[in-house]
Amino acid sequence: MRRVVITGLGLNSPLGNSYDELYESLKSGKSGIEYVPEWEDIKDLGTKVAGRVKNLDLKSIPRKYRRSMGRVAQLAAISTGDAISDANLTEDMLSSKRCGLAFGSTMGGNETMFEYMPEVQAKMSFRGQNSMAFLKMMSHTVAANLAQMFGIKGRNLPTCSACTSSSQGIGAGYESVKYGMSDIMICGGSEEHHYLSAGVFDVMSAASTKHADQPHLSSKPFDESRDGLVVSEGSGAIVLEELEHALARGAKIYGEVIGYATSCDGSHITTPSKEGMLQVMETSLEDANLKASDIEYINAHATATMRGDIAESHATYSLFGSKIPVSSTKGHMGHLLGGCGVVESIICLIALNKSFLPKTMNFEKLDKECASINIIDKNIDKNVDIVMSNNFAFGGINTSLIFKKYDFL
Amino acid sequence: MISQDDIFNKIKDVLIEEFEVEPEAVKLDANLFTDLELDSLDAIDLMVTLDKELEIEIKTETMQDMRTIQDVCDFVAASVKNE
Repeated sequence: MRRVVITGLGLNSPLGNSYDELYESLKSGKSGIEYVPEWEDIKDLGTKVAGRVKNLDLKSIPRKYRRSMGRVAQLAAISTGDAISDANLTEDMLSSKRCGLAFGSTMGGNETMFEYMPEVQAKMSFRGQNSMAFLKMMSHTVAANLAQMFGIKGRNLPTCSACTSSSQGIGAGYESVKYGMSDIMICGGSEEHHYLSAGVFDVMSAASTKHADQPHLSSKPFDESRDGLVVSEGSGAIVLEELEHALARGAKIYGEVIGYATSCDGSHITTPSKEGMLQVMETSLEDANLKASDIEYINAHATATMRGDIAESHATYSLFGSKIPVSSTKGHMGHLLGGCGVVESIICLIALNKSFLPKTMNFEKLDKECASINIIDKNIDKNVDIVMSNNFAFGGINTSLIFKKYDFL
Repeated sequence: MISQDDIFNKIKDVLIEEFEVEPEAVKLDANLFTDLELDSLDAIDLMVTLDKELEIEIKTETMQDMRTIQDVCDFVAASVKNE
């Protein structure tokens, strides 16, 4: 049976723009959440905090590629370029039909959409509209632009499913390699900072509004005093590769993907179902041929919404009880939406390679409605070999990924 | 009434600002496609920007033979005249 390993990665996030920066930020308990003064101008937007990407030179993307990219695709272009370079993929490997892409974001470029649509509608005219606007806004803008920029000719699976965009990307990539359709799959997701994303959750009373004066306290997964999520931006890319292919070229290996499942709740359009969450975790364990007790750390989705954290805690408890350490790193950086699954997967790789379990920032007291899972509130130095990362999206879409330390011996 | 020089300078500004062309490359006989590495979508978008900046209506369906910056200047001048 073909095995799937991770041979390169790249990211940009509120906690840094590389594996090392992310690790340092987690170790030092840095918060990536800040006050957004521009949002004071938007009426009836209660949330005023967000996590943003800093210190990125977007103009390093050649104009001929950048012209059709909104910020969401630009962030993805940088993280993907970093991952490709980290994996030492040659042009021949990239242009082979055996190398593909599975990448997504919640939506296309919001900034473009907000410039383009009102103008067209106000004037009922397309005069003054350029040819690039749609390409920046279309739902698969990230996958399309990455394929163009990096000359990808294999499978292209745009996985646009909001909070599960990048985890479904990784899962789709894993299956493509595992079942023989591809030897290399570049997988991930992205999201750009925009008030639309904040507004979506704010309207549902699901965004944090109480800590604009102390932004680092805004995101409190599982905590009894949590008041909602913090929307953030960011992108990540990981290179998945068939093991023998990786070994033959002497690639470095960050870890192995050994299990994946994705499913649907089939119930409410936004409220998650603990049964749905439980089912996807169980199915992922089946795919990996593991028992629940084999998992040594869980990176939870937990966005700090009232209902989401409760449902997830119960689903997690049903399967894993109260011993396995669990944390949500959304306390540090907020919810990267389309980018969360891949950046959180990279955090799982940090856990495996650095023997480091990051805490849940701002967690002090478990909400009494939550089940008693073992939420860690301090960083733990601990050797772990098998870890799980879960994500859950609007529409009741669920994913569960299992990563294992790769043993070179 | 806009002069030939003004038209050229406006085109030059747009090419440098929006299309990130090197200033030295912007010459009247430069070919948009082979010298400046623009493509047909860029040519359309160049016209859209000039339309907005000069506040004239540029009919892109008549720009098919446009190749050099001189051609762009002539095309814009003709559009201005027709306003």
